[in-house]
Amino acid sequence: MASDIKTMSAELARDPASLVFVELAEALRQRGQLEHAERVVLGGLEHHPDLLEAHDLYARVLVDAGTYERAVQVWTRVLDSDPRHLGAHKGLGFLNFRTGDLDGALEHLELALAANPSDQSVIRALHTVRGAAAEAAAEAEAAQEDAAAEGEDAVFAGLEGAGNGLLLVDDRGRVLGGRIEGEKGVDVSEAVAAFLAGAAQEAERTARMLGLGDWQWLVTEGPDGNVYVTPPTADTLLLIQRDRSVPSGRLAMLAERAGAVARQWLEGQAL
Amino acid sequence: MRQTKAVEAWTLEPLEQFVAESGAQLTLLMTPAGQVLAQHGFTRAVDVMSAAALGAAIVASSTEIARLLDEPGFATLNHQGVKHGIFLGDFESPRGRLLVLVVYGPDSSVGLVQLFFEELVEGLVAAAPAEERPQAVLAANFEDELNQSLASLFGR
Amino acid sequence: MSTRYQQALDSVTRVRGVRGAMLVAGEDGLIVAEALMEGVRGKAVAALAASLQKRFRQAMEAAAAGNPHFLHLQGDGGTLIVVPAPDGILVVAVGAPDMNVGLVRLEMLRAAEAIA
Repeated sequence: MASDIKTMSAELARDPASLVFVELAEALRQRGQLEHAERVVLGGLEHHPDLLEAHDLYARVLVDAGTYERAVQVWTRVLDSDPRHLGAHKGLGFLNFRTGDLDGALEHLELALAANPSDQSVIRALHTVRGAAAEAAAEAEAAQEDAAAEGEDAVFAGLEGAGNGLLLVDDRGRVLGGRIEGEKGVDVSEAVAAFLAGAAQEAERTARMLGLGDWQWLVTEGPDGNVYVTPPTADTLLLIQRDRSVPSGRLAMLAERAGAVARQWLEGQAL
Repeated sequence: MRQTKAVEAWTLEPLEQFVAESGAQLTLLMTPAGQVLAQHGFTRAVDVMSAAALGAAIVASSTEIARLLDEPGFATLNHQGVKHGIFLGDFESPRGRLLVLVVYGPDSSVGLVQLFFEELVEGLVAAAPAEERPQAVLAANFEDELNQSLASLFGR
Repeated sequence: MSTRYQQALDSVTRVRGVRGAMLVAGEDGLIVAEALMEGVRGKAVAALAASLQKRFRQAMEAAAAGNPHFLHLQGDGGTLIVVPAPDGILVVAVGAPDMNVGLVRLEMLRAAEAIA
């Protein structure tokens, strides 16, 4: 290989516009000479800016160098030019898998397989990702069962305060998930839900009649705790309760996270 | 079952809206003579008649006091009890002078009742048909009319 | 309006973004004192703020969080803040959506103490 690299380098030196740069850069990449590979491929792209194979190679060099975000940008631009580009789908599939986005990985690998049904590397990668996805689903189910056994609610399982201090309510005052404890650990979720529905209707009316627009959230501070209320969807309410030491800004951050989880759970119920 | 009943249909929608927004427990719309046009929340005819008569009497008395004070009249009156409040409002409409009697509980307040009373007046004035020519009232007619009104007010 | 009430409200309305401040009888929803910009419906603010405070007090008490001493309603077009003062009076402020809530809150808490 070293002599091949020498030969290809000589040819490129004679003719900077030569397409040999692609093979040369790939050979350098495989030897781990990433900086050199990057210089060669970028030099070649100056002469051949529309050569998708070169862009694909550049992205692979970036991945080997750990520059994942830039690699995603390059592959995304390749797909803008050729939505069925095998290399780009394989590359993005790999990166998604690496960051734990199994759905994203499956999507790209399935498109790669559609582009070339006989590509064994894609078939193997799909097998790996599907196995990982099945494992992740089993783990999530086990976590929910564990959470339920420990008294945490399935809606907010894993979130801070899932067992006490988060409540999801429908617009008729019925508990959908979560739990609020009152004095001595007594579950007061139902009572809170009932009052909350009326209070939220009043908030909506107040905002409307006073020209405050659509109500987004409401926070109240009491001697024994702070409460944040927001509608994650048009017909549900989310209440977060924490002790007085938690400021309203932090409550807002918790609400955003809990609201996203609630919306996801609600979408799951609708199916 | 609809709790709001009306002798004259044009009063129904504004009154229902008022009850929903104000949280009133009982409401009567009537003439200064105590003739009821619509009611909400009452379950017995005798209660409607008593409330109408007493409400009209309160307004008549306070109108007289206003006259002694050289005032044109009191647009609204409020009596606040421990558990309930009573609100009386008085306004001009295309159908003549009308009174509203409202009884509210702890879920509402005089502020809310006053706020939505203004909207009720606007709604009733907008919905009211032109004033009918007054007819001579005979004793027999009056009894029949009253019975008819009560029947309408209780959905019978 | 009494000087004490006027001063209490002035300190709130001086904050940028505040369109109006009032003292409201909490149980009745009636105006005790007001300092409002043109276009702010004082009666509606008083009645609705008092009702809102009452409703959320019930929810807070059910959640064992106690009687609220601060309530902030955020809309995409404006803000309402309610702070209870002694004797059932509420200090109420209404303002722009980007009102400096921290400063308004401070002034309202001071106003609540001043009118006691």
